[in-house]
Amino acid sequence: MAERVQPAHGGAPAGETGEGATRGDGWYPLMLSMDLEPGTVAGCTVLGRDLAVWRDADGRAHVWDDRCPHRGMRFSLGVVRAGALACLYHGWRFGPDGRCAHIPAHPDLSPPATLRAAPLVAAEQDGLVWVALGDTPAHGPATGVAGQCVPVRSLAIGAPARQVAQAIGLPAGSRAGGLDRDIDGLVLAAVLPVDRARCMLHLLVAGPGGADADRDRRRRVAAWGQDLRDRVEGAEAAA
Amino acid sequence: MTDLVLHDDVLDENCYRVRLFLSLLGRQARMVAVNVVPGGAQDSPAFRAISPAGVLPVLRIAGVEVCGAGAALLALAHGTQTWLPRDPGGFAEVAHWLEFAGGPLAAATRARRIFLFGEPGDRDGLRRQGAAALRIMEDHLALRWLDGSPWFVGDGPTVADVALFPAFALSRDWEVGHEAFPALRRWMRRMLALPGFVTMPGIPDLGVV
Repeated sequence: MAERVQPAHGGAPAGETGEGATRGDGWYPLMLSMDLEPGTVAGCTVLGRDLAVWRDADGRAHVWDDRCPHRGMRFSLGVVRAGALACLYHGWRFGPDGRCAHIPAHPDLSPPATLRAAPLVAAEQDGLVWVALGDTPAHGPATGVAGQCVPVRSLAIGAPARQVAQAIGLPAGSRAGGLDRDIDGLVLAAVLPVDRARCMLHLLVAGPGGADADRDRRRRVAAWGQDLRDRVEGAEAAA
Repeated sequence: MTDLVLHDDVLDENCYRVRLFLSLLGRQARMVAVNVVPGGAQDSPAFRAISPAGVLPVLRIAGVEVCGAGAALLALAHGTQTWLPRDPGGFAEVAHWLEFAGGPLAAATRARRIFLFGEPGDRDGLRRQGAAALRIMEDHLALRWLDGSPWFVGDGPTVADVALFPAFALSRDWEVGHEAFPALRRWMRRMLALPGFVTMPGIPDLGVV
């Protein structure tokens, strides 16, 4: 059942892939890069910690705790304006460095430097947006997959990340790696632990392939992901 | 002057479906407010006279009173250039999703009414069923994306998208977030950007950047 695996190295180190009991270290794959369109913000949860993920006008991804320092409103309900993330509640704007840049109720005020959001260390690699939890890693995220990765889809799965990683044959403790899936070729799979009971599985295809071949290949990989989700959730419900 | 009349409740998701479609079509209707919460006017003899089952919304179109969002959307889509495909396959697909919007996805509408207005019902069960319906939509759109379209049917928005949209846009009202539905998020942004899009209470108007 498990697929052959190309070993991942570097930035997806061992961690409590399935459990939310302790904060893990290292890189976590939050979402597909294609699902973070320029000028948008999305919510995301890793190990029970709510994050706001947004992309500025220059195309850079930012990951902050999902809480406006003003009144605690979720940033992920906000809007990207003028290269900054604006809170939905009172419109306070925070720049890429996390500093408050503008308060609509006091347009002439230069907000103090202490007024800031909490940016985390973010990166984009192999078609995924990543965040580092714990100490800043010495290296960027790495999946061990060489070449261009084309996104397929993400799936929410009602099972611990550990179960999903095991079912697809990722090495214990690894959050991402290449799977050699025979005629579908190399598939990059990345698992995000949402909390103790839920995870997200991100799927991409890697390596050469023309547009049409790619479409059929991606459809097959999407169908496989859906099967896998239903299988793992079924096993989880039976347990 | 318009011949269209909409019996409407501003907080009702089904009424919003029709208001949204009217706006996307650029059509005006005379609005008649029905006081559902807290008035319970949907059960009054006067309202039952036009909607015997007490169903909202009611659209008066071509001299006929049409009850329920699905029927009203279909009546408005009839004869439009793009909102209702003319080819048999496309039409069948739209019919499929209209049935879905009034069937499995109705759990989402009912869950929202329990969470927002304290109506009686199986809170957790309906929330679970509503989330399961959203997952079916997510799976469909994830595959559509691989075919090169962000819409439910064909290459552009249809009345199916309008029927399905509010349940996802309002899902936070019944405590289902958008994190698990990246394909629906992508679709929602495109809905928000359609010319004539209008919002309702509970849907932030963020899309027009």
